[in-house]
Amino acid sequence: MIGFLTIFRREIARFLKVIVQTVITPFVSSFLYLLIFGVSLGQQMDSHQGVSYLAFLIPGLMMMGLINNAFQNSSSSIVSSKFSGDLEDLRVAPVTDQEIIWAMSLGSVVRGTLVALITYLVGSLFMYYQQGEWLHIAHPVSALFFLIVAGLIFGMIGISVAFWATTFDQLSAFSAFILLPLTYLGGVFLSIEHLHPFWQMVSKLNPLLYLINGLRYGVLGVSDVNVGTAAVISLVGFAFFFGLARISLRKGSFQRW
Amino acid sequence: MILPLEIHNLVKRYKNSSVDAVKGVSFEVKGAEIFGLLGPNGAGKTTIISAITTLEKPTDGTVKVFGVDVTKDSMFTKKQIGVVHQEVINSGFFDVEEILEFQSGYYGLRKNKERIHFLLSKLALYEHRNKRVKQLSGGMKRRLMIAKALVHNPKLLLLDEPTAGVDIRLREDLWNFVRELRSEGTSVLLTTHYLEEAEQLCDRVGIINLGSVVCVGATKEIVRQYTLRKVRIVFAEQVPVQSPYLMEVIGKDYFFVIPQEKPLGEFINELGVPTQLVRDIQIEEGDLEEAFLKIVSQKDGQVPL
Repeated sequence: MIGFLTIFRREIARFLKVIVQTVITPFVSSFLYLLIFGVSLGQQMDSHQGVSYLAFLIPGLMMMGLINNAFQNSSSSIVSSKFSGDLEDLRVAPVTDQEIIWAMSLGSVVRGTLVALITYLVGSLFMYYQQGEWLHIAHPVSALFFLIVAGLIFGMIGISVAFWATTFDQLSAFSAFILLPLTYLGGVFLSIEHLHPFWQMVSKLNPLLYLINGLRYGVLGVSDVNVGTAAVISLVGFAFFFGLARISLRKGSFQRW
Repeated sequence: MILPLEIHNLVKRYKNSSVDAVKGVSFEVKGAEIFGLLGPNGAGKTTIISAITTLEKPTDGTVKVFGVDVTKDSMFTKKQIGVVHQEVINSGFFDVEEILEFQSGYYGLRKNKERIHFLLSKLALYEHRNKRVKQLSGGMKRRLMIAKALVHNPKLLLLDEPTAGVDIRLREDLWNFVRELRSEGTSVLLTTHYLEEAEQLCDRVGIINLGSVVCVGATKEIVRQYTLRKVRIVFAEQVPVQSPYLMEVIGKDYFFVIPQEKPLGEFINELGVPTQLVRDIQIEEGDLEEAFLKIVSQKDGQVPL
């Protein structure tokens, strides 16, 4: 248990050491997204299920920030440790694969949730400025559930990809060619109700749609998909990626690049 | 008797390779001894260390640490081992003391300040404890790696080329520290390229070549068995000498090469030259380097000792 707590503490300390990259950058990007899409373009958009476009955008951006940061936290931690040689320390020390996976994934949850919280606070300020009211969380338990599960899933994906990757390029490629398109097409900026039925069907094959809409339900009380379905798909995704992370640690190399 | 390390018939073949990197290696490290694993580059030394630490899974054979198979209960065996890897770490996020605190935590030690400060002082790093790794010199990084390996007070220390690129003074300090650890009961498995150091430091050595251990034994015994003694005798005048050990004569200087086991007095008597004609005798003993070169140049596998 001390091994797990140490790795978890190390993960938190690590991202706090580079706070500009981990916290300030997401703050600036969410500020810009909300300013351009939410405030400027949002005034020309119709309300959706009774909520303004600005409000609709906030949980999407929260989940987008969480997904990116959760993935980045675990993957960059492992890749930089591979590069520096620190990762060998973990393999030769008496810590189990499960301790490593849980500690790193929970580190991802903390960083991702922190970024989501910043996005929520910035969005709430915009809401107050534009509409004269703060954004109240409709279903806090649901919101927390989707934040934690999404953070764990993308922390575990980060672990798996980092163990599979043999260069920094491969890590960037996963982020640019898989993660980013799925996030953008997962309903962050638009409701899938506005899409052609064919593309609605295609969108429903994107697992990120369920995480984004799950959080949207938690924050706003509205969603494009059934929340129960979203919760079940999220948990299935969690179980799958937990298994994948375990295989990655068992089969992957801890040796330095 | 339970030994700190027993390796039996260890085989390691890497993926996509048709050759075994380690071919049925067997040796043991006894309690409170320094055992040197010597061999040319690519002989398989680091692969053996990786198998002990579970960084690499053996293809065949067993590795036991204090009687426990490393593949069966690695949580137990890892707690007994401290490892200093060949390449220096380059961790950029944390300072020296933080690195040692995290390292302690990996070994289940929550409060280890006293031990950390002891090691920092012992390895002359205390004043640098708030520096990050990139601010340390090469020698300091090496010492930090040794401190990391010792935070949990291991009973078996694995040193993989720990002094590569380290200056002579620092090397001497490190070896004194290793001797001190041995006197406290720690067993040490050392790989090094510096054979003169291995000769001074190691109680026993194993010589590995092309993935096979070709010789294991007490350091002094290996030197004695595989080297010759060079003797130079300066006579007062040129004398007729009939000896199978005579190699060269330059003026009044006679050069001999004699087996280590031959007593010097007996050899001089056999020369049949009056001792009053002997002006000077110089003896050059064989060393581990000579023994090492002789052993690795032999092609016919295991050399019994």
